[in-house]
Amino acid sequence: MTKNFYLNRRIWKRRLVGLALLVITVISIFPIATTILVSFKQQADITRKPPVIFPCDTPTQKFDIKACRWSVEGYQRVLAPKPDEGSLFGFKFTGNLLRIYIPNTLMYAFSTAFFVTLLASFSGFAFSRYHFRGHNALMAAIYAVTGVPLLTNILALYQMSITLRKNVGFFDDRMFLVFVYLGFFLPISVWIAKGFFDTIPRELEESALLAGCSTLGALFRITMPLALPGLISVFLLTFVNVWNEFIVAYLLVTKNEYKPAMFGLYDFLSQNIINLQVLAAACIIIAAPIVILFLFARKIFFKAMVEGAVKG
Amino acid sequence: MRSAKPRKPISYHLRKSLPFWLILPTLIVIIIVQVYPALYTIWLSMQARHATGWEYVGTQNFERLFGTGLFPESVGHTVIFLTGYALVTLTLGFVIAILLKQKVPFTGVYITLLFIPWIIADIIAGLIFRLMVTPDYGLFSGILQNPALFPPNGLSILTAARPAPWFGSFPFPPSPAMIYLILAASWRALPFITLLILAALQTVSHEVMESARIDGANLVQLTRYITIPLILPTMVVALFNLMLGGINGVGMVFSLTGGGPGTTTYVISYLLYVIGWGQLRFGRAAALALLIAAVNWLLILSVLRITRINDRVR
Repeated sequence: MTKNFYLNRRIWKRRLVGLALLVITVISIFPIATTILVSFKQQADITRKPPVIFPCDTPTQKFDIKACRWSVEGYQRVLAPKPDEGSLFGFKFTGNLLRIYIPNTLMYAFSTAFFVTLLASFSGFAFSRYHFRGHNALMAAIYAVTGVPLLTNILALYQMSITLRKNVGFFDDRMFLVFVYLGFFLPISVWIAKGFFDTIPRELEESALLAGCSTLGALFRITMPLALPGLISVFLLTFVNVWNEFIVAYLLVTKNEYKPAMFGLYDFLSQNIINLQVLAAACIIIAAPIVILFLFARKIFFKAMVEGAVKG
Repeated sequence: MRSAKPRKPISYHLRKSLPFWLILPTLIVIIIVQVYPALYTIWLSMQARHATGWEYVGTQNFERLFGTGLFPESVGHTVIFLTGYALVTLTLGFVIAILLKQKVPFTGVYITLLFIPWIIADIIAGLIFRLMVTPDYGLFSGILQNPALFPPNGLSILTAARPAPWFGSFPFPPSPAMIYLILAASWRALPFITLLILAALQTVSHEVMESARIDGANLVQLTRYITIPLILPTMVVALFNLMLGGINGVGMVFSLTGGGPGTTTYVISYLLYVIGWGQLRFGRAAALALLIAAVNWLLILSVLRITRINDRVR
């Protein structure tokens, strides 16, 4: 009897926990859900007073599922499709977001993530495998750098970009931006990469060396392949960080055709302050690739996050 | 007599100096993008711009900065923001982590969904929250602007002024926009903190909990005397992470409130932007940047100390 009672209590406790988690999850997803909802409304339904949550009311009924006025107007205004004979689907998108801003962001994010991963794996390997003079001090210094606020340096980097733009012929906003991102995201990546290298047993390399492999050969043939999962998580984390970054690009990029997506979105905000469906659609378009990436590779993200935060 | 020491082969030197060559590119990048700008900022903080160029003005930038009313006000806003942000995030993070640790069905699904806010850019998160309360047209404006619910005139979060301060000039009852900003920022930071705490909770050994339970400890005692002391270091690391992110994060202020209404959501990072790029007073902005950097350094050094103590204990 008592055993049964405790068992019951246990089951009820678990049900309550499950319910609480469900409620919390719904609340935390709620803002995103409302944005998706808004992005599929018409202008006429957006600017109604008082606002309606679902655009499904008719003169006689408050909610009628058949009368819903969903539309893709917001997306149309962001993407601006124009008929075009030569394209695959008979039209092409002429909106700046898809034509300029997102390709730029992709380019910045890919190149930064690539270089960060490359350099972080080199120095992470060196820090993990060699104990030279000043090893610990250098590691601590690199960690300390992660705490230097981006905003402090952006003043100097802004002045630097002005000077360079004036004096150096081949100066390019995009190159400079990627270099700055590289400097911002490298320190923490070095720490994360070192953590991953630490988990790979040294004996594997030593036996490769004994078998006549060179040091660099051991690095590229034995250690790197084993560290690959960790390095991929460094890559993805940097990719997302650059994709989501706003203020540095906002202050350093001067030309419209070099703007990344977040900068473009901020422009949208000032132009469409009242066209909520356009803003919402732009948000969804920019955030969707990253959210989808995250849903598919969440274990990899968690790995890098915990490694970076707990080690640091 | 010449030294008879045999010359070491080049490959030996290369092997000896390999770590140096591996680290060198990283160091060059960090020096150009992080160290040099930091030194430049120190120099800049003692300069003022004139028609002909920069001029040395000593500590004048700092004096001018402290002289403005906006600086103490922004510091006040930052203190309020950080306190609210840390309180909300750590409390909720702890609760959610404990719930997630119970391993009920669908925990994996919940974790995945709960983490979506973390992956969303701060500028987009700010915009999403702004859409919900845009005056007149936002989804919640109908409820918030209803005078029956929020007397006397209803509440418009993005335009309501700050109530009169209680303690001198410290902006204590914060404006609705500030509270909303704290909520939005916490929404975005919560997943990260939850994950940190959850990771720490997983390390609390099952045997310890079990033996305490056999000794008759109830759930509150278990939490108070075993769980919390064991995860306290992680909570402190989480707190410092939050502080660093909170002091330096500015994207959300940009897209959610733009510092407004009035100056009620000016935090120091936003003030830096306003002084630097709004008023084009780079010297004074550099002075402010140095102050922010000093606070950051204090936080970082504390984290280093705490984690080192951790390592020693393990």
